[in-house]
Amino acid sequence: MSRKIVTGTLFALSAMIGLVALAYPFLARAREIAGTEPLLRANEIPLLTGLLISLCLAVLLVELQGQAAGAKTVAALGIMVAATSVLRFIEVGIPGPGGFSPIFAPIILGGYVFGPRFGFLLGAMTLLVSAIITAGVGPWLPYQMFTAGWVGLTAGLLPHPRRPRAEMALLIGFGLLWGFVYGLILSLYSWPYLVGDPLSTWTPGAGVADALRRYAVFYVATSLLWDSAAAAGNALLLAALGPPSVRALTRFRGRMQFQAVHRAPSQAQTS
Amino acid sequence: MTTFDARAWLAWLAAGSLLAILIGNPLYLLLLLLISRVVEAACAPPAARGRRLPLGRISLMILVFSTLFNVLMAHYGRTVLWSLPDGWPLIGGPLTLEAAVFGFINGLRLVTMLSFFMAFNTIVPVHELAGLTPRALHELGLVLLIAITYIPETTLQYRRIRDAQAIRGHEFNGLRAWRPIIIPLLIAGLERALNLSETMVARGYGSTGGRAMTPRARLLMPVGLLLALAGALRLSWGGPDGWLLVAFGALAVAVAWRDLGRLVIHTRYRPRRPTWADGLVALGAIVALLPLIWPMLPGTGRSLVAYSPYPQLTMPPFNLWVGLGLFGLVVPAVLALARGPVAEVAR
Repeated sequence: MSRKIVTGTLFALSAMIGLVALAYPFLARAREIAGTEPLLRANEIPLLTGLLISLCLAVLLVELQGQAAGAKTVAALGIMVAATSVLRFIEVGIPGPGGFSPIFAPIILGGYVFGPRFGFLLGAMTLLVSAIITAGVGPWLPYQMFTAGWVGLTAGLLPHPRRPRAEMALLIGFGLLWGFVYGLILSLYSWPYLVGDPLSTWTPGAGVADALRRYAVFYVATSLLWDSAAAAGNALLLAALGPPSVRALTRFRGRMQFQAVHRAPSQAQTS
Repeated sequence: MTTFDARAWLAWLAAGSLLAILIGNPLYLLLLLLISRVVEAACAPPAARGRRLPLGRISLMILVFSTLFNVLMAHYGRTVLWSLPDGWPLIGGPLTLEAAVFGFINGLRLVTMLSFFMAFNTIVPVHELAGLTPRALHELGLVLLIAITYIPETTLQYRRIRDAQAIRGHEFNGLRAWRPIIIPLLIAGLERALNLSETMVARGYGSTGGRAMTPRARLLMPVGLLLALAGALRLSWGGPDGWLLVAFGALAVAVAWRDLGRLVIHTRYRPRRPTWADGLVALGAIVALLPLIWPMLPGTGRSLVAYSPYPQLTMPPFNLWVGLGLFGLVVPAVLALARGPVAEVAR
């Protein structure tokens, strides 16, 4: 019970810090500090948000790995991460249109079938491993890991409708939504770098409403089309490969959860 | 083995990318970019050099996009190059030289950061990167190793299934046509996972029982997050002391990690001992950070590395001591060249 409370607290805190980190450019006030260059203050944003996201990731990974320490979970995670990372490898070799990436459909399906913990770890580890094998390690990686983790985690929280058509519609809608949300979050990472433009870039001192308007202009101008391809790709992949993959994964979920319970001889005699 | 310990490379990368984020002066950024390229050329094993991403093309794209974006969207600056009709949404107004230079500097900052990461990826082999996994993340380190080990096997399996389906006359037209490849690949992978887990259990994995988290670690993690949250909120209200709270939060999480790491019994086959050369690389990274630390000391004045082309473009200043400090990052190249050719490594 206490473990559940601590886990719940850590999740709530991480979610809150993640939100604060991502929304930080909208919250930051103008600060006029004597002797401090304005440019240096602007550059605090990526540093601070990167630090906060890394902290959340550090805590969540430790907490969740402790709950998923069984040999079957570790092996299944490793193999599924390998399979999904191969898709990223293919994506780097043969780039799809816009922001299309084949890695999110397996993360969504893994989280949907095996649950939120598995989904978070699958998302975060897939991004880490694929970054290592494609030489894509960079300051963006904690953001990618954190956000992809949340893709898998939220997929695990989805309801499981009994009707196949409803299940398919749910997964397609979820993939479509995350295609845009993932881009929306990841674009926040680079946004504070483009300082100086009053209409579409982050400027210290802009209020929340003004900053949101600027970000909306920036997002529509630079990322909307790109993310549309990502969302459409997710939806197409989930429509084409979702139902049979869910059936296959569900069959294995039963086998994964099977455990032989060892009882001591004295207990066996009394029962 | 690579030229230096992976932890020394990590210190080099942290210093280089931090400087790239915080420096606004294009002269220092160009110097950093040059240093990262020299270090990669001197330290990367020959086989890895052919596999790197095309940095030149990527850099050109970033610089062109960043410059054009800023010149079209920001209408600040005194040197007007061209004017677009004011009625045009977003891009209408004067296009200035200062905005172009500002956009170029932003792009250069990203390119420099990318260059440091690319050098790190090329120089440090995957197995040494996996070896950097902290002890506290023992299980996830195992997941990482399984995934890296099984990637070639999964690729091979994919080819086998594709060839088998092709022999049966299967045509790959449309997304649904990939089902006969993806589903067998998924099932084969999960079967392999079950076999692997049984092998792991047979060899004693998990036989020592679950490692319980210590009460201190259990307490420090939420406390660390709370402190970080408080620090971030304090900073958003303009209190520079928020950094202190964020730092204490990070420290609390680091102590929790150390506590958890101590619970893991970890043995390493032929561990690599740190050498004086690894120490010199780390020291060089610290020296390079001095221009950033200097203005934080009381009574030392303004930042040495900031620069803004607005409102009127001026020549960026160049401080010789800052330039010499940045050369601390070139230490790996100097040591590697003194040692001779880099040994080939299995990546």
